[in-house]
Formats: sequence, C-alpha cells, structure tokens
Amino acid sequence: MARMKFLCDAERCIECNACVTACKNEHEVPWGVNRRRVVVLEDGVPGEKSISVACMHCTDAPCAAVCPVDCFYTTDDGIVLHDKDLCIGCGYCFYACPFGAPQYPQQSAFGVRGKMDKCTFCAGGPEADNSDDEYAKYGRNRIAEGKLPLCAEMCSTKALLAGDGDLVADIYRQRVIRRGGRPKTWGWETAYQS
Amino acid sequence: MYARAIITLAAAVMLTACYESADVTVHKPGVYKGAKDPLLAKQRMPEQQQALRERFALVQPDR
Repeated sequence: MARMKFLCDAERCIECNACVTACKNEHEVPWGVNRRRVVVLEDGVPGEKSISVACMHCTDAPCAAVCPVDCFYTTDDGIVLHDKDLCIGCGYCFYACPFGAPQYPQQSAFGVRGKMDKCTFCAGGPEADNSDDEYAKYGRNRIAEGKLPLCAEMCSTKALLAGDGDLVADIYRQRVIRRGGRPKTWGWETAYQS
Repeated sequence: MYARAIITLAAAVMLTACYESADVTVHKPGVYKGAKDPLLAKQRMPEQQQALRERFALVQPDR
C-alpha cells in the first residue's frame, strides 16, 4: 500500500502561488480560508527560498490526537481526513498542528469559528465519492477519480510533488545527487549556526 | 542536632518538588466516530492503486 505524501523542493519553488490558486479553484474554498500557502524564507534577501505548505498528512497526526470529538480518520494510504458533521470548531487541532493547516471559515463574536477546513489531499470526506454533499463540504475527490492533488499536478517547476512517498523520495533523491548536496536552507547547521 | 535534622528533612521535602517525570506524555487519537468513507474500500482495490501509480508516472516525472 502506498503512503501518500507531499514534498516541496525549495530549490525549485518560484513562489508563483499557482498551487494556492489551483487549490482554491478546484475545491471552491471559501473566502478567508487557504488550504495551501507559500511561505518565503529570508524574503527579499538574495537567495531567498519558498516552500508550499499545507496539511502534511502526518503519520502520527497531532490534530487527531487532540480532537475532543474524534472526527479525524486516516485512510489506508495515510491521508488524514475529517468529518465536518462531527467537528465542533473548538480549534484544538489548529493549536496542535505545527503547519497551521486547520482553517476556519468564520470570524465572529464569541469565538464562533465554524467547521474546521483543511487540505484533504484531494480525497474529499466521508460522504459518497464526488457527491454534491462531499463537494460542498470538502471539495473535489480527485483520488477517487484516480488522480493526484491538483496543486502538485499543475506545479510548473515540479517543486511540489505528491503521491506515494517512496516514489516522491526517489525523485527528490535523484535531484539531490544531481545537485551534489542538499540545500542549506534549514537543518541543524542553519538552526544552530554551527 | 535536632535543628539540623529538621532542616535536612525540610530540604528533602522541598527537593521532591523539583522532581520532573522523564516520561513523555503520549496522546493517542481516539476512535473515529464519524460516517464511514466509501473511499477507504476503493483504495484497497488494486486497480485504484495502479491508477494512482500510473497517474504519478504521467504527471510527476522530473523535468
């Protein structure tokens, strides 16, 4: 069984934000909610790097661990999904997630956030595949159609990869070998200035 | 002698407050309580896995 993963190659990402736009368009994501964002490191400094970030579909997902109503489930191939009918919009998953993936459509008085929304790896939710209900709540279910997440499929520089983690890792490994080393954008040496 | 014993005892009691458990608190997810996703059954089908592999080969190759 494949284990679905995203990987963003910072050496290739050109901060075009096409992945963000494609995601919003494909799933009709409500105003104010971004399932995917492009983060720029050292913005404006020569050598700046960008990475596209969304839900990383963690193997041991902290969002699922803290959810008080147990609305998260993980598919056999590692995609973390949730049931919006159960979600109470408490925001625990937002605080638990290290990537800021959970988003809330409402900002009103008394902390009313609405149901949590996040990247589904284009795999929808628990409703019937590609039904109107599923589309309204979670967006399109491309995985059920035998397709991969649109953000990665349409990435012009192939910086963003999505699919079986083993295949994604193979592609990235070949790139690193060709470049003669991994980027120094982050890691121990960057974090601790050693 | 008596005072020294009291001080030693008090210090020992106070130092116990400095103890910190080295055990990691692990939060395990609860059991999912929502509706069953039909995609789960579909993903176990070899045809679906093959379709995703073919799609990957089609749209994700390096340039």
